[in-house]
Amino acid sequence: MEETLIETDVLGVGGGIAGLMSAIRARELGVEVTLAEKANTLRSGSGATGCDHFRAYIPEFHGNDIDSVIEEVWHSQVGWTRSKEFIRTWMERSFDIVKLWDSWGIPMKYRGRWEFAGHAFPGRPFTTLKYSGQNQKTILTKEAKKRGVNIINRVMVNDLLYQNGIIGAIGIDTREDRIFIFLAKSVILSTGGCVRLYPSPTPGWLFNRADSPNTTGDGRAMAYRAGAELSNMEIPMRWAGPKYFARCGKATWVGVIKDPNGNPIGPFLKKPDRRYGDAIADVYKNLFEDYTRSGKGPLYMDCRGISNEDYQYMMHWMKHEGNTAIVNHLLEEGIDIRKNPIEFMTYEMTTRGGILYNERAETSMDGLYAAGDEYFGGVSCAATFGWIAGENGAIYAKNKERPRFQTFKDEIKEKKAFLENIRTRRIGPTWQEVNIALNQIMFDYAGAIRYENLLSAGYKQLKRLKEKAYKAIIAQNPHELMRVLEVLNLLDIGEVILLAVNERKESRDKYFRLDFPFQNPLLDGKILICKMKRNKPIFEWRKIKA
Amino acid sequence: MPPIIDEKLCIKCGTCVNICPQDVFFGSKKKKVPKITYPHECWHCNACVIDCPKEGAIKLRIPLPMNICYR
Repeated sequence: MEETLIETDVLGVGGGIAGLMSAIRARELGVEVTLAEKANTLRSGSGATGCDHFRAYIPEFHGNDIDSVIEEVWHSQVGWTRSKEFIRTWMERSFDIVKLWDSWGIPMKYRGRWEFAGHAFPGRPFTTLKYSGQNQKTILTKEAKKRGVNIINRVMVNDLLYQNGIIGAIGIDTREDRIFIFLAKSVILSTGGCVRLYPSPTPGWLFNRADSPNTTGDGRAMAYRAGAELSNMEIPMRWAGPKYFARCGKATWVGVIKDPNGNPIGPFLKKPDRRYGDAIADVYKNLFEDYTRSGKGPLYMDCRGISNEDYQYMMHWMKHEGNTAIVNHLLEEGIDIRKNPIEFMTYEMTTRGGILYNERAETSMDGLYAAGDEYFGGVSCAATFGWIAGENGAIYAKNKERPRFQTFKDEIKEKKAFLENIRTRRIGPTWQEVNIALNQIMFDYAGAIRYENLLSAGYKQLKRLKEKAYKAIIAQNPHELMRVLEVLNLLDIGEVILLAVNERKESRDKYFRLDFPFQNPLLDGKILICKMKRNKPIFEWRKIKA
Repeated sequence: MPPIIDEKLCIKCGTCVNICPQDVFFGSKKKKVPKITYPHECWHCNACVIDCPKEGAIKLRIPLPMNICYR
């Protein structure tokens, strides 16, 4: 394998919304910035072909009452897993980001006004701004290039280099047999969500996912291996949307969730209303699964009765939410949402948790920052904390000396040998086999049903799978090597989750343990931190300021 | 299988190969009609369809397991 050495001030890992924003801001502060992206920043990440909603506090719309907006957003984020300081910082800075994006050509206004709609309850504050994000990635890429960010596409960064703090990272070229060695003064991880951990809603089709199936928790995994703190890994997260085409954007549908007899399920609305979407799908994502299994399904997103104006409105936003493939599919199949109710389903589980980062985007390691769906938050969170990460990552870099390659020669040699070994194997399990085997374990042992004996059985099985994967997994080309590394990352994350779920011996909000069905007041106001020590995860309960 | 390229319309600009978030077109050659090397890894995001400069040259076929259920 060839080697390419890149020395830079700030290394951004992941060129999605958060990554691009961090690179743009860091560069504005005058440091050298390299942004390594697994695919191509033009269309990568979960923001690929758009997003139509952006959590924000806008004084011109909300008036002076930022507190009620903070409260509303805090609740929507499964409030007890994130500190209110974090949400406050986010809301305080969100309007600046909105104005910035608008100035760059991402239309943040609709027909000349701030349009707040969706993800809302009648009588409570609106917190989600509708915006036209179809070309957001192209525009952000342009802004990054304009400022002289060095974007390197088709590179998967997979391991951090550290010595009393972060020094850089190692990655692979996803199209050629080459490793990249980055020496940096600070690193910003923005690798997105943690998809492909559990079976997809259509288990025979691995890549049918609501969020980008390319975001496989790489940042979480490498941060964990480097000894940084993760949090809330035991908290499950599920999404919901059209069955069987897994996609985000349920709040873009202007309809009512109804049972087969045409009765609305939720208490929020009886007729399609473009201001709200049907919030029952937000507060109860398991709704579809629960009702179908208990004889009350199937459930439908029913847009019948929608006005012509609201239909045009919805179609505009479907495009910007990145759902043109669904719209095309409906057209081809002759499905008209004004006449045909669409079945909705609950999608697969993943973890809500990730790298613990505070409102300054700092992680527990010096020089290491994180932003975006490294800890789930959506586009607005990614954009705001990407910006903050870039700012703080750049300031940190300015006060540091550049690390030296000599210090890491052995580590790099070892890593290269490991990768080359995988590439020379001819017989063994493919990455698909390992991915599917992992999906099964997560679904069966740490899925909706969770209890101690099951979790420890699952853990043993996962360890066996991990050992076999490391010994024998094969990759016939650089693309498959990328997929191999993704799956090895997911194995690390799966291991943490199985142990973390075992640690939280209670039930709370959407977290449920069959063997501990009560809420334990001793755990009020606390989050579960996980960190690697001597190759194993160790856990700590920590109080967060509410 | 997704995506489908009409070889008569394709102008071989390589845009789809360049931007695909899953690198479904891995191994394609410059100035040639792209190969769909990894059709099972398609996310059906529609980026290739949106960014293709020649209308009709590329489209997605939604696989049967992903077809939408409706009444």
